[in-house]
Amino acid sequence: MNAPDDAELLQRIRAGATDEFAELVRRHQARIFGILHRYERDAQRVEDLAQETFLKAWRALGQFDGRAPFEHWISRIAVHTALDHLRREKRHKHEIRFPDLGEDVLDWLRSSEEKNEPAARDAAEILHRALEQLAPADRVVITMQELEGSSVKEIAAVLGVSGIAVRVRAVRARAKLKRALERLSEP
Amino acid sequence: MNEKKLKQLFAAARQEPAPAPPADFAADVLRAARQGPARQPEAFSVWDHLDGLFPRLALAAAAVIVFCAAADWGITAAGYPGINEAAAQATSQILFSGDDL
Repeated sequence: MNAPDDAELLQRIRAGATDEFAELVRRHQARIFGILHRYERDAQRVEDLAQETFLKAWRALGQFDGRAPFEHWISRIAVHTALDHLRREKRHKHEIRFPDLGEDVLDWLRSSEEKNEPAARDAAEILHRALEQLAPADRVVITMQELEGSSVKEIAAVLGVSGIAVRVRAVRARAKLKRALERLSEP
Repeated sequence: MNEKKLKQLFAAARQEPAPAPPADFAADVLRAARQGPARQPEAFSVWDHLDGLFPRLALAAAAVIVFCAAADWGITAAGYPGINEAAAQATSQILFSGDDL
């Protein structure tokens, strides 16, 4: 017997079989952790944000009309949760929470030559540091476009702005990110 | 930072694996969902709001001071009595107005 798809599971949950929500969480948890990890590097906080995402979805299940796949809907909730988190962090940020970057990765950053790309962890760490200098919405645009591979239309839908506004913001955010990366590489 | 290096950085960062959800994550979410709103976003106190507004308040206060100083300088330069002088005149009128009676 085939496993029920998301639509069937949602139907059962709405009919009172609330246990099925755990199955829905299991199916989408890896993707949600993946999205949230782009915005927060601390694993415990990622888990907290993932729980917040699924609880928001649970409370809003009545509003899910099924026109788009459940995966898209829950992903949008995750990005909104991340955006709220970034705004809270921006207000409460008083100190740098990460250890200093390693010399290898700083060499790569400072070098004008085309060297081999840095290790994934180092690259993510540098990007995270530089992205912290950007406004939360700019950060969402860059992260969705460059790391998640989202389309302009998808980003516009998440941020509730036009496609043109997303394109303009993306250009400006990219320039800001480059400047932030240059500042990071200064001795 | 040239465009090629930036693309290299994005490509490398995309390869980083996300942390794996704990084995009991789904069960925890279900438990929390049944208990009601378990984890509310951090509440902001009045001080947090003031803290957030501080740069704007400070800028507004500085702008008012600059405006007053410029206005005083402009009035004095135009030959009218300055704010200090006008204030002294007004004070003396209030304090010594009874002498005329």
